[in-house]
Amino acid sequence: MRISSSAIYDTNVNKLNQQQGKLLHTQQQLASGRRMLTPADDPFASARALEVSQSDSANAQFVTNRNAAKHSTAMAESILQSVTSLLQDVRTATVGDGSGVLTKSDKMSLATDLRGRYEELIGLANSTDGLGNYLFSGYQGRTTPFVKDSGGIQYVADDGQRMIQVDSSRQLATSDSGADIFMRIKNGNGKFTVDASPNNTGSGLYSQGTFTNPAQLTGHKYKIVFNVEGSGSEKKISYDVVDLTAEKVLPKDSSSTSEEVSDFDDEQVDDTGAPENEKVLSKNNRFTSGQVIDFDGVQLDITGEPAHGDEFYVAPSGNESVFKTLSDLINALQSENPLGGSTAKAQFTNSVNRALNNIDRSMENVSTIRTSLGSRLREIDALQVTGEDLGLQYKSKLSELQDVDFNKAVSDLNQQQTSLTAAQKSFKQVSDLSLFNYL
Amino acid sequence: MATSIFGTGLSALNASQMGLATAEHNIANLSTPGFTRQETVQAARKPQFNGAGYIGQGVDVNTVKRVYSEFLTKQVLQEQGLSAQLDSHYAQIKQIDNMLADPNSGMAPAIQEFFSAVNNVANAPESQPARQALINNGNSLTARFQSINQRLVDLNNGVNSQITNSITNINSYTQQISSLNQSIVVAGGANGQPPNDLMDQRDELVKKLNQEIKTSVVKQSDGSYSIFVGNGQTLVVGAQTMALKAVLSPSDPSQVDVAYVKSDGSTISIQQNSLHGGMLGGLMAFRDKTLTSTQNAMGRVAMGIAGTFNEQHKLGQDLNGDLGVDFFVKPQPLVINNTLNKGSASLTANVVATGDYSALTSSDYELTYNGGTSYTLTRMSDYKVSIFKEGLPKTPVDGLTLSMSEGAVEGDKFKIRPTVNGARDMVASLSDPAKVSAALPIRSQASLNNVGSGKVTAATVNLPPPGAPEPLHPETDKNLQQPVTITFNNPPTSYKVTGEGTQDPLDVDENGAPCPPPDIPYVPGQDISYNGWTMKITGSPAPGDVFTVGSNFNATSDNRNALLLGGLQTADTMANGTTSFQGAYSQIVSDIGNKTRELEVTSKAQASMVEQTLQTQQSLSGVNMDEEAANLMRYQRAYQAAGKALQIANTMFDTVLEIGR
Repeated sequence: MRISSSAIYDTNVNKLNQQQGKLLHTQQQLASGRRMLTPADDPFASARALEVSQSDSANAQFVTNRNAAKHSTAMAESILQSVTSLLQDVRTATVGDGSGVLTKSDKMSLATDLRGRYEELIGLANSTDGLGNYLFSGYQGRTTPFVKDSGGIQYVADDGQRMIQVDSSRQLATSDSGADIFMRIKNGNGKFTVDASPNNTGSGLYSQGTFTNPAQLTGHKYKIVFNVEGSGSEKKISYDVVDLTAEKVLPKDSSSTSEEVSDFDDEQVDDTGAPENEKVLSKNNRFTSGQVIDFDGVQLDITGEPAHGDEFYVAPSGNESVFKTLSDLINALQSENPLGGSTAKAQFTNSVNRALNNIDRSMENVSTIRTSLGSRLREIDALQVTGEDLGLQYKSKLSELQDVDFNKAVSDLNQQQTSLTAAQKSFKQVSDLSLFNYL
Repeated sequence: MATSIFGTGLSALNASQMGLATAEHNIANLSTPGFTRQETVQAARKPQFNGAGYIGQGVDVNTVKRVYSEFLTKQVLQEQGLSAQLDSHYAQIKQIDNMLADPNSGMAPAIQEFFSAVNNVANAPESQPARQALINNGNSLTARFQSINQRLVDLNNGVNSQITNSITNINSYTQQISSLNQSIVVAGGANGQPPNDLMDQRDELVKKLNQEIKTSVVKQSDGSYSIFVGNGQTLVVGAQTMALKAVLSPSDPSQVDVAYVKSDGSTISIQQNSLHGGMLGGLMAFRDKTLTSTQNAMGRVAMGIAGTFNEQHKLGQDLNGDLGVDFFVKPQPLVINNTLNKGSASLTANVVATGDYSALTSSDYELTYNGGTSYTLTRMSDYKVSIFKEGLPKTPVDGLTLSMSEGAVEGDKFKIRPTVNGARDMVASLSDPAKVSAALPIRSQASLNNVGSGKVTAATVNLPPPGAPEPLHPETDKNLQQPVTITFNNPPTSYKVTGEGTQDPLDVDENGAPCPPPDIPYVPGQDISYNGWTMKITGSPAPGDVFTVGSNFNATSDNRNALLLGGLQTADTMANGTTSFQGAYSQIVSDIGNKTRELEVTSKAQASMVEQTLQTQQSLSGVNMDEEAANLMRYQRAYQAAGKALQIANTMFDTVLEIGR
């Protein structure tokens, strides 16, 4: 075949260009450490690398988010720990001194002590995160959630829970509403509450009551009225059980009723004790101190000696704030029934027992929330570990997609260098061959 | 006898001289582009008869011919034209490929940083620095979009000026070809011998012309070339040429079209997709298949982010307690009236609702008015044609809501480019950090006096219903923030809802007073929706328990909307809900990567194809130095031998003359 002399040059120049292009590409790979210099080098891997890098950056963001969540959760946890120990202190102080041998001045000093604790508790409930945001104020971070007014402590914030995106498909609450922690505490035993009329003159002490089957509970209000006949050894104590809300049809506008149900207090019971709503469940039951009184699923006992006309009430549990519990306790310590003697003692003991029961319920409530905080913290830690693993995986996937294999690249470079040198040398030799050399 | 010896020797000397001259000409033009090697064609002279037989009379050079194959030359022409097209397409697309190459400067990090900033606002919704950082990141996101878009616009301008240059080249080549046509006809006609070097020059010009655009060449009987382009438009006939001209496209003034200059000087656009091959063909292919769609796709990502983010942002509430406003300036589709339209109607295309952003494609559209109430809409990416006989559709087409003013004339055309300006026009419009709406405008509450265990979930704000928006509250229900109370009946198996906007205003008794609110059965966990919000009640409420929904004042720590905004990063909001923003962007990268790769491979393959055909053609027509050296020696020897023969003849004469001395 004829060979055109200029084609020898053209072809060789093309080949040398190609070889140099390859060499440069490998050299650039080595210099940048990247396998793909442009998306065209591996379109699929380029697009995949973008997706992985988004996952990686989102994962890194979740680490930041989790740290923020951990910070505020841990802060709430430590405040609630203080609340628990405060309530425990209150309980210990009250039980230790509540044996009934307290003098008036003992009570007063205890009341002063508890007043201080009360203020401390308000301070804890109004804690901030150090940046001026209240921890327990729902969405209203800049609003003081618990304020004092004539009716005691009011919660003026909301039920909002702040959430943080801690993982791609998981949002964790990083705050709890102050209402859930401090206000929505069911009094009594959680289903119903027992109370004594302040006008009682006997020494009857009531228990908080129990129930075996919550389905039997009706949610009605009841009155236990004592009748005492005779005296001395002839003395016969019996009681009547009256359902105060029997067949009562709730009025259409039920807003006032809801207050009635929850804010159970004596005056309102008197108001609503209209005869048409009352139904006597049992009459003239024989009373034995400490024996269980059982009706409509409610079980309670009354010890001591009630006087004639003494009344005890059973009502569905309502929400009672821990602040009200404490202030009721303080009030009980500060006030003295003018009748004195066993009457006053029984009233005081009933009040203290009631308060202690409610403090227990508050502590229970706080520890439920602390448990939830603890499990959130554990979840954050677990996610953090998973997140770190995931981060490593993303990094290694990215490196696999993008990074150059140095061993291969160096070996490629050497090979390309060798073949380029060979091409250059042979080109020179071939182009030196010419018949003109011999003319 | 001796005279014939002189005559024969002289003819040999002449023939050898011509051979030497031709070999030297070949050597001299070794590197001349388009040169075809030449050789002398020798033939023995007519012999003279004498009694003994025919005595040879020497040699004649009949002609000098090109060693030329029309077939091989045409093949080279074709392969080179295709190669030029692929190379110019590749050179253009490589620029986009390089632009997207750096993972740290593309869109991906900007999108990621923007949503990181959203997350940081969610982590600390009251923090001014976090909000400011979000606004700054919004600005850098839009700036990144704009800079990428600017690069693409620059590429488009570059394509326009290259098309113009290419047309200038084409016109110059056709001029030269036509004047060579003339010279060749004259030179060939005068003496019947081919003007080899002129023909080489003309072939070379045809080759160059074909590297600009694919033409068809027809050789006429007089030796001139006629050249046609596109669908048969004449460029050269004999000594005449028709010029091409670069004109602004009547359907889109941002693009340059190739037009044909008619004899009266007016121009007429050549059907652009009939122009193939060569650099011009490459530029056209790049513009139609890559540049427009990339710019549109980039704009679509921008519009998707702006539109979707805005819609969610407007459902929220800012730090001042006001309802959210637009975070980004929303880019709108571009509509171009064809400059050849006879009517005065103008077309508007809008993206109205959130769902419509998801339906946007990265294609352009052409709407043609057919007279009456009939319209034809063509999607340019796949030439899908929709015909609307009863006027423009009320519902969005591919996310576009179309409307046209009066005055259209049958045949009027409108080009719709829905997303072309998306990346350019997306601007972060918010500057006040307090205006970032991280909260939702409403909150739900359970009354502290509730006895039952019923709980409310955080209320969410619904998207506005499709249809005509409320003028004062276009984004949300007008009663959104009105206090609403849900009170449970006794027994608590049903509840009543009271509050502004919760009751049908037509629900009145005979006196026109509103009826008492109806009892609604309670199903735990079921959605309860009024006034544009939705929430759930779970657990067992007691009779008389009250739940409220109302305005979310003072909500500095509420981050619900920020969380929802952050969730948009990975939500599948693009391409009819099949991919995320980042996914749509990756699609562009992968698309460009694949196309570049494909072109790289095909243009390399084509280059080797060119090399092979060129080698074949050159092996026939190219100059080989060794061959020419041998020719030089051959003719030198022949010359020397002829000289020797003359010398011998001379000696013979001397011998004869000495006899008489």
